[in-house]
Amino acid sequence: MEMRLGYAEGAGPDGVKFWPVYLCFVIFGIMIPFTKPEFKILTLLFSLLISLVVGFLAVNLLIAAFKSGNAALREANGQFAREAVKNGMLFMIPFTVLAILAQFILGWNAVMPFASAAIMTAAATAGTEVMKKGAQGIKNVMIPSVLAFVLSTGWMMLTGILP
Amino acid sequence: MNTIAPTAVPRWKTALNMIINPGEVVKNQMTKVPWPYSLMVSGLSFTLFFLQTGLDLMRNGQIGLSTVILITMLGLLYGTAGIALLAVMVWALSQAAERNITMEWAISSFALGYSATFVYALTGLIFSLTLGWKTAVAFGVTGVLWALRPNLFTIKQMSGERTAFSIAMTTLCGAILLLGWALLGKFGA
Repeated sequence: MEMRLGYAEGAGPDGVKFWPVYLCFVIFGIMIPFTKPEFKILTLLFSLLISLVVGFLAVNLLIAAFKSGNAALREANGQFAREAVKNGMLFMIPFTVLAILAQFILGWNAVMPFASAAIMTAAATAGTEVMKKGAQGIKNVMIPSVLAFVLSTGWMMLTGILP
Repeated sequence: MNTIAPTAVPRWKTALNMIINPGEVVKNQMTKVPWPYSLMVSGLSFTLFFLQTGLDLMRNGQIGLSTVILITMLGLLYGTAGIALLAVMVWALSQAAERNITMEWAISSFALGYSATFVYALTGLIFSLTLGWKTAVAFGVTGVLWALRPNLFTIKQMSGERTAFSIAMTTLCGAILLLGWALLGKFGA
């Protein structure tokens, strides 16, 4: 169940759907065990869990960062951060499709570079979307990039130690 | 009254800005970058990328030096004629002419997006030559992936900010480039 705390009056989250974003994370989570020498169900479960946690953190930390850094926009439109993050994170889709192509058609065994580029690009694009809505300052591009770098690095490290 | 004339941004800075803030470059700076300059950037990027592919294959004992040179030349062709064709295809499909966007602008913006590929390819080549690493996938493919973001902004601009269309076209362009690279690598080998 989604909480509606912190929204401006009349600005509920109904119109902002994140399922395509989480679907991308789930697909990456499913693909990662196929890059291991041997496919194991346990690896799949851990991989899915890690991917979903990274996805949840990426979406919600970006929203929180944009909201805390743009008080004036938050007053005018309570949903601006959610909309921007949703629009930006949609650009994980090309990377997800290309990762499927690389893994299952070209047999490159290289999912994480795609996942890393996906999260970095999507977060930076979310920053650009916020600036299009009137946010000021390079912080709106830098903070998402740093956040995405930390998350993608953490994701890669956890993927490396999967059973 | 503001009497200070705006200073012209050097082209190499525009190319670097394309990596950091492609939205701004595509919107405001691309009219000042001629398409031959941009094609030089993408041409060099793919030349270095394909050179690494050739070097990797040579280290595996699959090809000789002459084939490495052939693959490198294919990279130059891929990064110039190939990228220009891809840009023209997207320009036509997005009906960008209706928004007063010229074909030259499309080629220039699309090709300059490969600045990130150039940085990755150059770094990869240094590692390949000095440490003997196989770098084509790790650096080359990653570089191509990093070019998708500038491409995305170019396509968005050409298509009048149509998000679904931009995502579909970016995916198609990325797939064409990666499949093309894989096929040319096999042809060269």
